[in-house]
Amino acid sequence: MTTKHQTSTPTKAPAKPNWLKVTYDQKKVDKMTDLLKGLKLNTVCAEANCPNLGECFGSGSASFIILGPNCTRACRFCDIPHGHPKDVDLLEPLRVAQATKKLGLTHVVITSVDRDDLPDLGADQFVRTIHAIKKLNPKTTIEVLTPDFQGREDCLDKVIAAGPDVFNHNMETVRRVTPLVRNRATYDTSLHVLDYVKKHAPKTMYVKTGIMLGLGEKDEEVYQLMDDLRAIDVDFLTIGQYVQPGPKNYTLREWVPMSRYQEYYKQAMKRGFKFVASSPLVRSSYKAKEELEAVESK
Amino acid sequence: MIKEVHMPKLSPKSDEYFFGKWDKQPGDAVKTGDVLFEVETEKAISQVESQEDGTLKAQEVATGDTTKVGDLVATIEVA
Repeated sequence: MTTKHQTSTPTKAPAKPNWLKVTYDQKKVDKMTDLLKGLKLNTVCAEANCPNLGECFGSGSASFIILGPNCTRACRFCDIPHGHPKDVDLLEPLRVAQATKKLGLTHVVITSVDRDDLPDLGADQFVRTIHAIKKLNPKTTIEVLTPDFQGREDCLDKVIAAGPDVFNHNMETVRRVTPLVRNRATYDTSLHVLDYVKKHAPKTMYVKTGIMLGLGEKDEEVYQLMDDLRAIDVDFLTIGQYVQPGPKNYTLREWVPMSRYQEYYKQAMKRGFKFVASSPLVRSSYKAKEELEAVESK
Repeated sequence: MIKEVHMPKLSPKSDEYFFGKWDKQPGDAVKTGDVLFEVETEKAISQVESQEDGTLKAQEVATGDTTKVGDLVATIEVA
């Protein structure tokens, strides 16, 4: 397996907790990596250096990141390269659809880098990708994890009309911490995105968001965020641990103990979310298929 | 026959890792799928499993060492 990314000597960060222990079967990961490379596709799994990569690639699941690999924003928590964006690849949607078929995915997650440089902010590529997946994989459920599209409703309308099963947009963190870690994104714009989608999407489309813990947020701030989300009727919430990608990223404030994840789960369920995943290794697309199945079978 | 164990690529973005700890000692029997050692990458502690059945013969790196992808990490004597 080779990578185009520059390699760097690791720097010793605070000792990692035991729950960050993952198994990694290189043969299985290599098989997946070769397939993705053959189709010239990027995954958020590899681009964000996800700790769950071994498990997900090992079991044949992946989350595709379109319009990349470079992002027009430089959020301080994120490991995805910030740089000059590339031309939109009009064949990418077809390749995502082909990969979905090849991997036999029954649920697929499509996310993207931010594309503030494009007139449509990347919305049309989401639409093309959803259509291509549906054509080749009519039974596969589709989850999109979108940028904020600068809050532009015409972009949201397009993606809603393409008909994903789950519309996910991440709040990332509580209101106070947002300007410390997000770039050109605000708490209120993200809330507006979720609110707009909930109001304008068919009732059968679930609206989802996720946050990271360990950025210095306080309990009451997390509960305020939950209240803000429930006030606009957001359906799913994911809560996971921030892992600092490198020395230049936002400094990890805390490895949050499991008891807090459990308390947040209880508090969130009490507030009426349909589904909550709250555990250190939870990522917004981790086990998304199981999440949708759990809600649909209720 | 002696089989060499080399450091696998454990992170899409880097080729150098901190060696964590050994889960098997020289002389221990190892089976395919047993965790041999742990390595610390940027975002995880990766447990590396044996791809062979045999006996761990030698450890070539120690806790805290910086290791590169492809480095010789251990040898396993297979029947």
